Amino acid sequence: MEILSHLYLGFGIALTLTNLFYCLVGVVIGTTIGVLPGIGPAATIAMLLPTTFSLPPVTALIMLAGIYYGAMYGGSTTSILVNLPGEAASVVTCLDGYVMARQGRAGPALSIAALGSLFAGCIATAIIVLFGPPLAELALKFGSAEYFSLMVLGLVAAAVLASGSLLKAIAMILLGLLLGMVGTDVGTGVRRFCFEIPELSDGIGFVVIAMGMFGFAEIVSNLGLKEKRQVFTSKVGRLMPSRADLKASWRPVLRGTALGSALGILPGGGAVVSSFASYAVEKRIASDPSRFGKGAIEGVAGPEAANNAAAQTSFIPMLTLGIPANAVIALMLGALMIQGIAPGPRVMIERPELFWGLIASMWVGNLMLVVLNLPLIGIWIRLLTVPYRLLFPAILLFICIGAYSINNNPFDVAMAAGFGLLGYIFSRLACEPAPLLLGYILGPMMEENLRRAMQLSRGNPMVFLTRPISLAMLLTAAFLLLLIIIPAVRAKREETFRE
Amino acid sequence: MRIGFLSRFGLCLILFAALLLNAIDSAIAQTYPTKPIRIIVPFAPGGGADILARLLGPKLSDSWGQPVIVDNRAGAGGIVGTEMVAKAPGDGYVLAMGYIGTHAINPSLYPKLSYDPVKDFAAVALVASIPSILVVHPSVPAKSVQELIALAKSKPGELNYGSGGVGTAPHLAGELFNTMAGVKMVHIPYKGSGPALTELLGGHVSLMFNTMIQTIPHVKAGKLRGLAVTCAKRSAAMPELPTIAESGLPGYEMVGWFGILAPAGTPNEIVTRLNTEINKILNMTDVKDRLATLGSEPTGITTPEQFGTFIKAEITKWAKVVKESGMKPE
Amino acid sequence: MSEARMKIKIRGSKDFYAGLLFISFGGLATALSPSYPMGTGARMGPGYFPTVLGGILTLLGILISIRGLLRESSDPFGGLALRPLLSVLGSVLGFAFFVDRLGLVIAIIMLTAVSCLGGSEFRFREVVVFSLVLTVMVVVVFVYGLKLPFKVWPL
Repeated sequence: MEILSHLYLGFGIALTLTNLFYCLVGVVIGTTIGVLPGIGPAATIAMLLPTTFSLPPVTALIMLAGIYYGAMYGGSTTSILVNLPGEAASVVTCLDGYVMARQGRAGPALSIAALGSLFAGCIATAIIVLFGPPLAELALKFGSAEYFSLMVLGLVAAAVLASGSLLKAIAMILLGLLLGMVGTDVGTGVRRFCFEIPELSDGIGFVVIAMGMFGFAEIVSNLGLKEKRQVFTSKVGRLMPSRADLKASWRPVLRGTALGSALGILPGGGAVVSSFASYAVEKRIASDPSRFGKGAIEGVAGPEAANNAAAQTSFIPMLTLGIPANAVIALMLGALMIQGIAPGPRVMIERPELFWGLIASMWVGNLMLVVLNLPLIGIWIRLLTVPYRLLFPAILLFICIGAYSINNNPFDVAMAAGFGLLGYIFSRLACEPAPLLLGYILGPMMEENLRRAMQLSRGNPMVFLTRPISLAMLLTAAFLLLLIIIPAVRAKREETFRE
Repeated sequence: MRIGFLSRFGLCLILFAALLLNAIDSAIAQTYPTKPIRIIVPFAPGGGADILARLLGPKLSDSWGQPVIVDNRAGAGGIVGTEMVAKAPGDGYVLAMGYIGTHAINPSLYPKLSYDPVKDFAAVALVASIPSILVVHPSVPAKSVQELIALAKSKPGELNYGSGGVGTAPHLAGELFNTMAGVKMVHIPYKGSGPALTELLGGHVSLMFNTMIQTIPHVKAGKLRGLAVTCAKRSAAMPELPTIAESGLPGYEMVGWFGILAPAGTPNEIVTRLNTEINKILNMTDVKDRLATLGSEPTGITTPEQFGTFIKAEITKWAKVVKESGMKPE
Repeated sequence: MSEARMKIKIRGSKDFYAGLLFISFGGLATALSPSYPMGTGARMGPGYFPTVLGGILTLLGILISIRGLLRESSDPFGGLALRPLLSVLGSVLGFAFFVDRLGLVIAIIMLTAVSCLGGSEFRFREVVVFSLVLTVMVVVVFVYGLKLPFKVWPL
C-alpha cells in the first residue's frame, strides 16, 4: 500500500539521530513549560523561533510539535497535583484528578493520564494518516453558525460537569461568559468593561483566572480548614493504576479518543470543547454519576485522552490545507514560512518528507513523553508528602512567577490575587469554579460566531436551524440538556412528594 | 554696534557649552550601546512584527556585542506596547517595532490615542514592506478586478470580505477599495488573519485582501483565485497578477509596513547609527532571503528622514480612508 | 476545639449570598452594557450580548437567593477564614508590588514570610531558611535557567 511506503519514508526521517534528539528536546521543553503556569507553548515557541532558522524544516517542525503536545502532558500534571490547569484543555482534569491526588491516588491518576494520552495520541496520528484530507474538507464546512452551535453544546456540557446545584453552575457559566467580554471587542474595536485600565484591553487572561480561582483559592481554602486534616494524605499510595482502575478507564479512553479526534480538527475551538465534552459524556454514561467530582478515574481518563487526541488532529488543517488551528500552530507555520516553505494544500505532495517525517515523529514523541513522565510520577508523588506548610508557599511563588511571566506585568499577579479572593468566596458559597472558567473560554468565541453568523445571514436567526451541521449540534445540546433536567425535576418531584 | 564685554563673554560661554554638549553627545553616541537594548514588540509572539524583531535582534546583537532583547507587550491593537516606548527615555535603549497599524491607522481610529506617532517618535528605519493579494473564493463569478467591481455594483451590500480584525491592514485595504471603486462590500472581521483565511477557503466569505505569503499556496493549488496585488508595482512573487492600480483603480496602494522607531528626543547620532546598522543587516544575504520568503518587497526608503516622511504620508492617507468609509473609531 | 482563629461569621445560607453575588455581577453588566453600541440583530453591537447575559444572570441570582432564603437552616454559610485569606492574598499583592521595584529576591522573601503567617504553624527559623532556599532555587531556575526577564536585585 502506498501509505506503508510513505510511513517507511517518514520513520526513516523521524528516527535519525538529529531528529530524535530534537524531538526529545521538544517534548522535554514542552513538558516543562506545561508544568509551569503562565508560560505557554505559544510564548516558548516564539522565543525559540530564531533557533529554528538554522535547522532543516523537518527538524524544526518536529521540535516545535514536540513542545506543543508535550505541554499538554505537562499541563495535566499540575492539574492533578496542585489543581492548577496548565491550559484550557486541562481544566477538566482538575475536577477529579486533584481529588484523586488528595486521596493518595495521584500515581494512578498521573499514569492513566499518561497512558491514555499515549493511546489517544497514537490513534489520532493514525487518523491523520488515513483520513486527513477528507476530514479537513469537512472542517471547512464549519462556518460561524456551526461554531456557535458547537459552543452552545460545549456550554451545556459545562453545565453537566457540575456536581452541585445546576442553577448555580449555570450562573457561574454566565458569569464566566461575561468575564470573557472584558476587553476589546473583535467586531468593532470598542473596549468593554475596561475601566480605563490598559492591561484589561486584551481581556483578563485565562491564566490569571485559572491561577486565581483554582490556585490561590484552593490554597486559602486548605489553610482555612478547621480540622487539622492533612491536605494530601500521607499515605503515598501506589504508583501504577490498579486492575480496577484500568478496567474502569479503558472505555473512557476509547470514547475520549474518538471525541477528541473528531473535535480537534475544527480550527479554533474544537480542541477545547473536546475535554469537557468527554467529561460530560462519561458522567452521563456512568452507572453512578455521583462519583464524579470525588475522584472518579473516568473523569481523568476520558478528558485526557480527548485532549491529547485533539492536540494531534489539530495538525490536520495545517498539514493538509495550511491553515492553523490555533495560535501555537500559527507560530509553527510562521517558522516554516521563514524557512521558505509555504504550507498549503500541496505540501503533502511537494514535500512528503515534511508531512510523513512529522507524522512519524508524533508517534515517537508520544512514546518519549510516556517514557519520560512515568518515572517522574514517583518524584511527583514524593513531592506531595512535603508538609503542606512548606508546600503551599512554594506553590504560591510558582503561581506568582507564572502569572508575572505572561506579560512581564505585575498587574496580572494582582489580578490573579483578586480572582483568588473571588474564587475563595465562591468556594465557601458552594459555587464551583470550573463552569466559570469554561464559560470564560467559550464566551468570546460564542459571541464572535453568533455576531458573525448574524452578519452573514443579514439578521436571519433561522440560519442556525437551516444549516444541517448547526442544527445537529443544537439538537444534541438540547438532548443533553434534557438528560440533565429530567432527573433533576424528577428528584425534585420526589422530594416534594415525600414531604 | 559695540557688544558689551558681558554679552561677549556670555556668547562664548554659550558657544563653549554647545560645543561641549555636542562633544559629549557624540561621545555618547560613539560609545553607544553600552548596555542591553530592548525592542518592544506591541503584539503577541509569532506575529509579523515579532518575527521581524527576532530576525533583527540577534543580528544587531552580533554587530554591537550588546544583548538585544525582544520584549513582547501585547495589548489593544498594539497600543499598550507602543505607548510604552513613547513614554520611554530617548536614550536609544528602548525601541519600538512599529507598523502601519500602530503608527498610521490607530491615530485615525482612536481619537483619544495616548501617543502621537509623529511627535512622540523618531523614525529610525523601515524594515519590511509586505503587500497583500486580493483573492476570491472560486465560487465568486469574477475573474478580474473590473469584473469584481461590476459584480459588487450589481449587488450592493451583498459581497462579504474578511479581515483579521477592525483596523488591520486587510480591513483598511478593503475599505480603500470600497471608497475608490465606489462599491459597498461588507466587512466581516475575524480574530486574526488565520481564521479569516479559513472561512474564505470554506466559502463562508467571498473575498479577502490577505498577506501574500499566507495566500499564495492556496492560489497555486487552485483553492482560491487571485485577482490582483495591492502594491504599486507588480510583485516578484506573483508576476502574473496585475496590481489593483493598473486594473481600474489608479493610485490604489496598500502595503503592510514594519519599522523601528525610537522615542522622540533620541540624539540624531544614535538614530543614524541604528539606521546604518539596520540597513546593513537588511542587506545581508540571509536576511534578504528571509524577508523575501515573508513576502517583503524593497521600497527604497532607507534614511530616517525618508521613513519619517513616509509615515506622515501614510497617516494622512489612511485618515482619509477611515473618514470616508465611516469606520467607527472607538 | 479550634484554635483562636479569626473568622467572619455571617448568618444566612450559602445560596442566599451566592444569589446576591450573582445579582450584583449581573446587575453591573446590565447597567454598563447598554452604554456600548447595541446595534441591531443583524449587526450586533458590543453591548448586545452582555446586556442579555447580564439580565439572565441577574434573574438567576434572584432565583438562587430566594431558594437560599427558603433554605436558611439547612445550608448555612460558614464564613470566611480571614487569616489565611489576608496573608496569602496580601503576600501575593506584596509580591506584585515589589517585584518590579525592589527585585525578585526581596519579593520572594516577603512572599514566603507573609504567606507563612497564614499557616497554622509559624516557626521563625524554618521560615527564614525556607525563604532563602526558595529564593535561590527560583533565581537559578527561572532567571538564569529560563532567562525570564526579572529584576533580581533592588538596584
